[in-house]
Amino acid sequence: MEKLTFILIVLPFLSAIFCYITPYRKIRSSIVMATAFLLIMSSLMLIRITPFSFSPITVLGADIHHIVLILDFLILFLIFYFGIKHHHLLIIIFAILQIVLLGYLEYFMIKEQTVSPIFYCDSLSLIMILIISIVGSIICIQSIPYMKNHEEHLGLRISREPRFFGVMLLFLGAMNGLVLSNDLLFLYFFFEITTLCSFLLIGHDNTERTIRNAVRALWMNSLGGALFIIALVILNSQIGALDMQKIIHTPKAGLWFLPIALLCFAAFTKSAQFPFQSWLLGAMVAPTPVSALLHSSTMVKIGVYLVLRLGPAIQGTFLTHCVAIFGAFTFLAAAALAVGQSNGKKVLAYSTISNLGLIFACAGINSSAAITAGILLIIFHAITKALLFLCVGVIEQHIESRDIEDMRGLYSKMPVTALITVIGVITMIMPPFGLLLGKWMAIEAASRNIIVIIVLALGSALTVMYWARWAGILMSDPFAGKFKTEKQPILTWVSLVSLCLGATLLSMISPWLYSWMIIPIFNEKYLQSYIVTRGILENPSGSFAVIPLSILALIGFFVSVLAVRKALRARVVPPYLSGVQLSEPGTFLGPMNQPVKAEAKNYYLSSIFGEQRLTIWVNLVAMVLITMLIGGAL
Amino acid sequence: MSMSMQILLVVLGVVAGPLIGGLIGGLDRIITARFQSRVGPPVLQPFYDVNKLLAKEYTVVNAWQAFCAYSYLAASMISVALFFLQSDMLVIYFVQAVGAIFLVVGALSSTSPYSQIGAHRELLQMLAYEPLLVLVIIGIYIETGSFKISAVYSWDKPLLLKLPFLFVVLGYALTIKLRKSPFDLSTSHHAHQELVKGVTTDYSGPLLGLIEIAHWYDVVLFLCFCSLFWATNIAGMIILISITYFLEILIDNVSARMTWRWMLGNVWAIGLTLSLVNLIWLYQQ
Repeated sequence: MEKLTFILIVLPFLSAIFCYITPYRKIRSSIVMATAFLLIMSSLMLIRITPFSFSPITVLGADIHHIVLILDFLILFLIFYFGIKHHHLLIIIFAILQIVLLGYLEYFMIKEQTVSPIFYCDSLSLIMILIISIVGSIICIQSIPYMKNHEEHLGLRISREPRFFGVMLLFLGAMNGLVLSNDLLFLYFFFEITTLCSFLLIGHDNTERTIRNAVRALWMNSLGGALFIIALVILNSQIGALDMQKIIHTPKAGLWFLPIALLCFAAFTKSAQFPFQSWLLGAMVAPTPVSALLHSSTMVKIGVYLVLRLGPAIQGTFLTHCVAIFGAFTFLAAAALAVGQSNGKKVLAYSTISNLGLIFACAGINSSAAITAGILLIIFHAITKALLFLCVGVIEQHIESRDIEDMRGLYSKMPVTALITVIGVITMIMPPFGLLLGKWMAIEAASRNIIVIIVLALGSALTVMYWARWAGILMSDPFAGKFKTEKQPILTWVSLVSLCLGATLLSMISPWLYSWMIIPIFNEKYLQSYIVTRGILENPSGSFAVIPLSILALIGFFVSVLAVRKALRARVVPPYLSGVQLSEPGTFLGPMNQPVKAEAKNYYLSSIFGEQRLTIWVNLVAMVLITMLIGGAL
Repeated sequence: MSMSMQILLVVLGVVAGPLIGGLIGGLDRIITARFQSRVGPPVLQPFYDVNKLLAKEYTVVNAWQAFCAYSYLAASMISVALFFLQSDMLVIYFVQAVGAIFLVVGALSSTSPYSQIGAHRELLQMLAYEPLLVLVIIGIYIETGSFKISAVYSWDKPLLLKLPFLFVVLGYALTIKLRKSPFDLSTSHHAHQELVKGVTTDYSGPLLGLIEIAHWYDVVLFLCFCSLFWATNIAGMIILISITYFLEILIDNVSARMTWRWMLGNVWAIGLTLSLVNLIWLYQQ
């Protein structure tokens, strides 16, 4: 137990240091691979010993509280330094505020450090650790070939890879620490590390634009940190301990909801919910594996984890209702904004914000079915989003564009990547895959809440729109003859294929995933939501036949594949262009006997869904909703 | 339900689905012709058409189209089968959406502008009707307390009495799904001046035949949804569906095709308002 948590939390820190000081790529890659392997193995071994809790006294021979405290101040001063370096007033203010409050909390308020246990692992933590350690590790592995390409493309004289891999591994360690912490001061410490890591990773390429976006991420997340520490100060004075389990189990009458509302607010900034979406959108200037990491298994998942964790404390309150409405609104608004985008990475970013909104909505509805939906969405969103980001990264390095329009007919250039991307999109929006299972549960669980359900219905339709058109054009003609697998580094194939299998196969065993992982979460506050019989998830009001549907989908898939094989032998005709076709593809004989090139582009409906049109209103509504949330808790 | 009963129902749905869908199509053509002072084709004409299509030479623009056409058909078949199994309405809705998505994806795989624009209009049509359909299902759930169709059949009062507005909302979705004016934007039963055959432009021969069959399944599925509103006896069901379908034909014949902006604005504004009012009534009980 101690050993496993040591590997999951401390080992990445040590590996990060080694990565940082190693000048040789080969050694660095080996360290990354070895750490990834160890993380995956120990996270899997953790399944057998969950639930557990323990309080280590020392780490690496030193008092753990002292280490955390010293590092905490170190991080805050680093953030303060970056604030001064980049002349950003807000960062400076938030950093000073946090330093003062942390000092006050540590030296004046906390009499004795008796939070016990420091680490606590239940099924929710376990699920998060599995996501972080497995998906995160796969992303780190794909970063090895990606960064090599990336640096060759930039033509750097001095490699910045040591720093990059160091921070990536640090991030994974911090995330594991965060989801295991029961002591809120520890949680806060890891929370701040992720803020710093995301700042360093977004600004990795060290150009003017990346630094600007990194600084934006830093101030927004520092705001989250400041809210967090304010909440801690209030909580400590109120219940006298910074113990997550104690807070959750404090009777509602004895709890003032303001600190909880502040923690929710901090969670929104971390998860890039409106009006803080711009830091996540700006994060796409970083190398693509960074986006994959931020969007899937780390960073943005902190927010939803935190609210799900706090769920029992706010069940049945006005606060939880506000979170549900806020989440549903984000789900809809981000989906609408995604419709207006042709930049592939931006579509992915808005889709992340949208999905997180849905998870917040689930956490806010706060019934056991909704919590189940939220957890399933976290799992499958992490896998699929990591897959899609890595795909877009590979595509971008190949065609040197991330615009969806430039991906027309990608199948003829890189068939396997195009196919994997299409599979990724399909797992996003179609039954019987996990994300749709989650969405189904979410809608059924929200059906008693009239505002939330209408918003979810609209958002769900918009979601289909922006995914379907992307999948469609990847496969558009012309077909360039025979199927030939494109050349990619072996590590790229390993990571893409493993994520692809994860997204599809794991969906098919989701009923068992539910039995093993999610059922242990239920207790007297959350009664069991679904029962599983023969691969069918069922409750009194609905049923989702995962296994039968998967079998039918597989049959349909194979029949369709056979149809493609037959179609490959069929006569190929040019697309209809309403005129005499010329030998050049897509060209017809137009007026005055002149050749005309037929062209069509996607509808992006920017007059309705454009960023410039919507963003300001969306931010305004989000601010109103957050004000409502804070005000309601006062 | 016993296992053999379930299998029987699935077979019934899968076999009877396209037969009923085709027959309805034939009747539709005759009634439409009478509206326009024509005699119209024989009632079995849709079957002759599809038969002929299936016998044509197999040509494709892009082999991926075959995948999409088959997947569309598969999803539509499964959704009808699920309906006959009286399973979860929301699941049925998601499965039929898979079919609609594959139709669009297949159309997008051709570079023909007609096909592309048709596909995007089809997406807009889906955007218009999908939320409404979800809300109709939610309304049925609030009334009966279950998402399962079996619960509707065991409900002792016709749903129409409690969900009149939601039935109108379902009518909107039905009109779009049947490709009737004023919502026949993405494709229609006749070639358009500006869009040829829209989303189906580049499907031809046997694949087009499959898409036609899948469309019959869709029609049957949506009419089945309508029938839920008078599920207490068979006669009521048939009368309700007949009246609804007759009104669809009437609307088709008296209205012109409109633009997608009009459709989206109109369907969302009216559809959402009606749903909201009806849902509030239900929540108040």
